[in-house]
Amino acid sequence: MKALFKVAWAVTAMTFIALFSLSPVAQAKQNTVTYAMYGDIKDWDPSIAFSLEVMMLANVYEPLLWYNPPGSEKQFTPALATSWSVSKDGLSWTFKLREGVKFHDGEPFNAAAAKASIDRTMAMKKGAWYIWASVDNITAKDDTTLVIKTKTPQPIDLIASSQYGAYMMSPKALEKGTDWFNKGNAAGTGPYKVRQWVKGQQIVLEKNEDFYGGWTDKNFDRVILKVVTENATQIQMLKGGDADFISLVPADLVDTLDKIDGISAYAIPSWKNSQFLINTQKAPTNNKKFRQALTYIWDYNTVVNDILAGYADVGRGVVPATMWGHDASIKPQEFNLEKARKLIEESGVPADQRKITISYIGTSETYKNAAILFQENARQVGVEVELLPGAWGVIWDRAKNLKTAPNMQSMTWWPTYPTPNDWMIGLFRTEKKALFNLSHYANPAYDKVLDEGVALEGSDRPAAIRKYAEAQEILMDDAVAIFYADIKNRVARRTNIQGLQSNPAYAAVFFYKISRK
Amino acid sequence: MLKYVAQRLTMMIAILCGVLAITFALSRVLPGSPVEMMLGHRPTQEQIDLAKAELNLDKPVFEQFIYYVADVARGDFGKSLRTGQPVLDDVIERMTATFELTTIAVLIVVLVGIPLGVVSAVKQNSFIDHSARGFSIAGVALPVFLIGMILQMFFYGSLGWLPLQGRMNSEVLLDFEFPRVTGLYLIDTLIAGQYTAFASAAAHLVLPVLTLVIASLAVVTRITRNTMIEALNEDFIRTAMAYGLPNRQIYFQYALKATLIPMLTVIGLTYGFMLGGSVVVEYVFDWPGLGGYVVGAITKNDFPAVMGVTLFLSTMYLTVNLVIDILYFVVDPRLRAS
Repeated sequence: MKALFKVAWAVTAMTFIALFSLSPVAQAKQNTVTYAMYGDIKDWDPSIAFSLEVMMLANVYEPLLWYNPPGSEKQFTPALATSWSVSKDGLSWTFKLREGVKFHDGEPFNAAAAKASIDRTMAMKKGAWYIWASVDNITAKDDTTLVIKTKTPQPIDLIASSQYGAYMMSPKALEKGTDWFNKGNAAGTGPYKVRQWVKGQQIVLEKNEDFYGGWTDKNFDRVILKVVTENATQIQMLKGGDADFISLVPADLVDTLDKIDGISAYAIPSWKNSQFLINTQKAPTNNKKFRQALTYIWDYNTVVNDILAGYADVGRGVVPATMWGHDASIKPQEFNLEKARKLIEESGVPADQRKITISYIGTSETYKNAAILFQENARQVGVEVELLPGAWGVIWDRAKNLKTAPNMQSMTWWPTYPTPNDWMIGLFRTEKKALFNLSHYANPAYDKVLDEGVALEGSDRPAAIRKYAEAQEILMDDAVAIFYADIKNRVARRTNIQGLQSNPAYAAVFFYKISRK
Repeated sequence: MLKYVAQRLTMMIAILCGVLAITFALSRVLPGSPVEMMLGHRPTQEQIDLAKAELNLDKPVFEQFIYYVADVARGDFGKSLRTGQPVLDDVIERMTATFELTTIAVLIVVLVGIPLGVVSAVKQNSFIDHSARGFSIAGVALPVFLIGMILQMFFYGSLGWLPLQGRMNSEVLLDFEFPRVTGLYLIDTLIAGQYTAFASAAAHLVLPVLTLVIASLAVVTRITRNTMIEALNEDFIRTAMAYGLPNRQIYFQYALKATLIPMLTVIGLTYGFMLGGSVVVEYVFDWPGLGGYVVGAITKNDFPAVMGVTLFLSTMYLTVNLVIDILYFVVDPRLRAS
């Protein structure tokens, strides 16, 4: 027994010594960049993927067009399409495709492959397929000409630049199907290929030598997407230099992180905004003046500056100020308890019926704190607010059904492809069976203006913008929601990373464009 | 003996059936269908209805249970709604990671805890006794995630001696590939002769193992100490001392043997607890094990995964208990005689 313990101790001690001498120290290799993701990739199939997969998809695959950051000279950068045009009636789009491009598996990229990719995504009806819902048929006129015909006029150029559902995939890969993709395989035309997937640990991309954009020695040869689920661990990795980017950056830590030597942390514009949708069909919020009163009870500045730690701007209407088509003449809603009191009296809702319910995702500190603040302010003007936190699946189910729906529902929204109509349709267009229109808003006049705008979006964008402005004014007047925050995204990275452009259209880092000083 | 084992195995199957039924009922009764979670942030009504039908969620609960049991009988535990992979594959892969972590932790707890307990018992109320007890109780009192994070901040953040998280250095994983034979990186890397990979795997094990050890050392130490003290007061020990036998022999050969029964129980319970309870450690260290997997499954109501993991963990726990009970026979001649 004694000898056994002695041996055990000796082995343990030797192991420790060996570990310290042999364990490889993480080198910051010149040509490898590391990104800490908060989860592993679930859907490898670009026709289905609709979540953090975009970090890999946007580097391994390409769509026809890339949408440029707002404020750029041109709206698009050609990717797999080099030029495009739309017919006068807005129903037919012609794309000229890039020549000499190969997929990672050697298959040539041509119009037939593009047609196959879009047809397949539409047929599978998963993920973001619905962006193509209005497409009537697609023709490959010749190897480099793709014609997309739609049933109603649509902004196909915007749709083709979507971060989900618009990637071109090798026809050979399409034949192999979703199961092949989900083994960690990929076949795009992008600057990086998938080299390795260790489930639950990391995904490694390596450079595609044949990428038509060419390579310099400043580019990264390898990209490591590391799965790091805990926020505190991500921050330690960033501090230690083992990660160049992290994905979870809490708003209250940005300033502290930025002060650390070697780390840059800051806010960038996004297209995400938060609102509390007001139920227009349930008493007492079915009363327009009462709804308007509620919009005066919300303390916009406190929520944005304190609860959201300054990482948001006060919302001005349903479309965030960073998105084209936002009506700049819309004034932000105001926090004014006197006006609220006046409107409540004018509304005619009896004092004993001034009770509302407010539902939100219970695990969110920001929703909770904002709701509690609202509850307190409402109490001061005689409105009783009942808080109903819960898990998203549960509260969403309840909110869809008028019988169980609350008077106010938390929501955060961002577009699938770069268009303002995403909010206006998704959140407020009349729905027979409510999906996301949790205000249960049904206004034919609004629908008409909106539809006219959508029909013009593809062919006459300025005219569409005018229609959209009208639609946004209608929503403001009807007080369908409390539009309280245009969210700012946060970035935390090593300071020596150069070339990072912020683009709200893509929740991904384009590794091809960055380098290390 | 054989009859005893057969009896226990039958009981095991009965218990597992009960576990299956209860977990199934709970996962269906709890609100929040998993469909919304798995379809991404913007599903269409059509997609939701289709997914519900695919998962048989539109049928009555009892019927769903029949479908499930029929599948399980064929060895099909369904596909995880979060990872899209077969649950059995997920569980086996993740299980080996947890197994490696917890087995090493239990070994160290035993190798350190028992001698510590013996020394504490022999030198009762001495300085060694007090500090050993104090240290191990502090370990049990501190929350596990705090221990883990403090170790990370000290050994990685301040000293840079040990890695922060994961099972292996990213670049080593990439440049020194090795086939997964057992799923235990320490063994597989040695089999493949990849010594750099072995060193990396070992280095990555240190902090998570240390966390688990610190968190559970007190139990083993304390039980050993208490039962040793009891044993040392027995008549047969006094007789052995009167015979002039060397102290080492008295403590480790005679007294310790008397403590083996409660020791085995505690070790069995600790092991079983660690298999499922390593969740926090796996989360803090991004250890791709079963703990993290099952928490993710529960929060997203990924019920095929929840069912699969519950069945698996229950089986493991029951098996460990059975093995411990059989070891009682081996260790205690009194039981063997009856």
